[in-house]
Amino acid sequence: MMTGASGPAVTRAAMATLREPLQRLVDSSRRTFRNPYESIDWPVSVDPTADWFTAPELTTVHGTPLWDVIGDGARRRLAFLEALNFYSLNIHGERDLMEGLVTRLYRPDLSDAASYLHHFIDEENKHSVHFGTFCTRYGRVYRSRQPPGAAAPATPDADLRFFAKVLVFEEIIDRFNVAQAKDERLHPIARFINQSHHAEEVRHLAFGRRVVAELWRAHRASWSSAQIDDLRRYLAQFFVTTWRQFFNPDVYRDAGFDDPWDVAERLWASEAQRELRRAFSKRIVEFLTVHEILLEDPHAAY
Amino acid sequence: MLPIDLDARAELRSWVASRADGIEPDPALDRVALFDQRVLSSLHLPELILLIERLRNEPVDVTTMAAPDVASIDAIVATFFDRGTGR
Repeated sequence: MMTGASGPAVTRAAMATLREPLQRLVDSSRRTFRNPYESIDWPVSVDPTADWFTAPELTTVHGTPLWDVIGDGARRRLAFLEALNFYSLNIHGERDLMEGLVTRLYRPDLSDAASYLHHFIDEENKHSVHFGTFCTRYGRVYRSRQPPGAAAPATPDADLRFFAKVLVFEEIIDRFNVAQAKDERLHPIARFINQSHHAEEVRHLAFGRRVVAELWRAHRASWSSAQIDDLRRYLAQFFVTTWRQFFNPDVYRDAGFDDPWDVAERLWASEAQRELRRAFSKRIVEFLTVHEILLEDPHAAY
Repeated sequence: MLPIDLDARAELRSWVASRADGIEPDPALDRVALFDQRVLSSLHLPELILLIERLRNEPVDVTTMAAPDVASIDAIVATFFDRGTGR
């Protein structure tokens, strides 16, 4: 259980050690401040069966028997629908992220992070403008299957869970962004969205790594082994929750597959897709295991 | 062919048991308060929703869902699978 020593005073002291790196992130955000409404010249329409909007190797069908039985146009259309899904899960993830950041803005024990939290929220909102504009102009926003939850308490445990989830989510998303930002096969809009997202995520990832490591270092000694075990199970499940969103039956239904839930299960279980999930999780799993926040791979995610 | 709610119960028991330590997929599990007793966490909900959708071959609208709807396997079956009363 949490003791008195593990409360806001410890968090405040931990965050004070981050003043200098956080100021560098603030400076960087101010130097690159931009208007999301001027950064993209949106085409009137796009052709989902002619262009690639997701790199073929990053679709959930690639490397599976299903890939071999659908034609080129169907592959491109599926890659377009998966781009809509990728942008949609970013919208849902960023909405939860912004909500969590806003809740923590100017909380006294996190006050050293307030200046950067303003930029973090601002940049996430701008990303959602890009994702939302693409989805609503050319397709739709796919729904989330995560019901709205109750507000988390203002405890160190809840803070660590929140910032660790943000970090896991953004690390995985960033692997897709980096891989697609310079992929000449992709439609310029898809390339730009991935490139632009990555450019700002670099700062968010740096922030997340610092905060997660510092909160863990500051509070872990005051937590019971049962509490830490529960935290580890929770984070391991978050990998599953995050990755599951990529295998969306709504996408497969829109792509014309007869049994979209069965398709989702088969693709999720395919060896090629398990390997992609393992590879794209590797960097963040290494970070979490080096710090002993996790003790092993989140095997259920792959 | 088994009635759909019996199929669903078996699948739900098996799924819950596979995600929690020391839980057996037997009928007693149907009455266990899955979230109150921390057998599952809120992070399991999207996977659980996917399973419910797959079992009934129909989407679930999470925006109209309430916590009691998924509180136990009995509640899930009553809410989403019982003929004529499921959502």
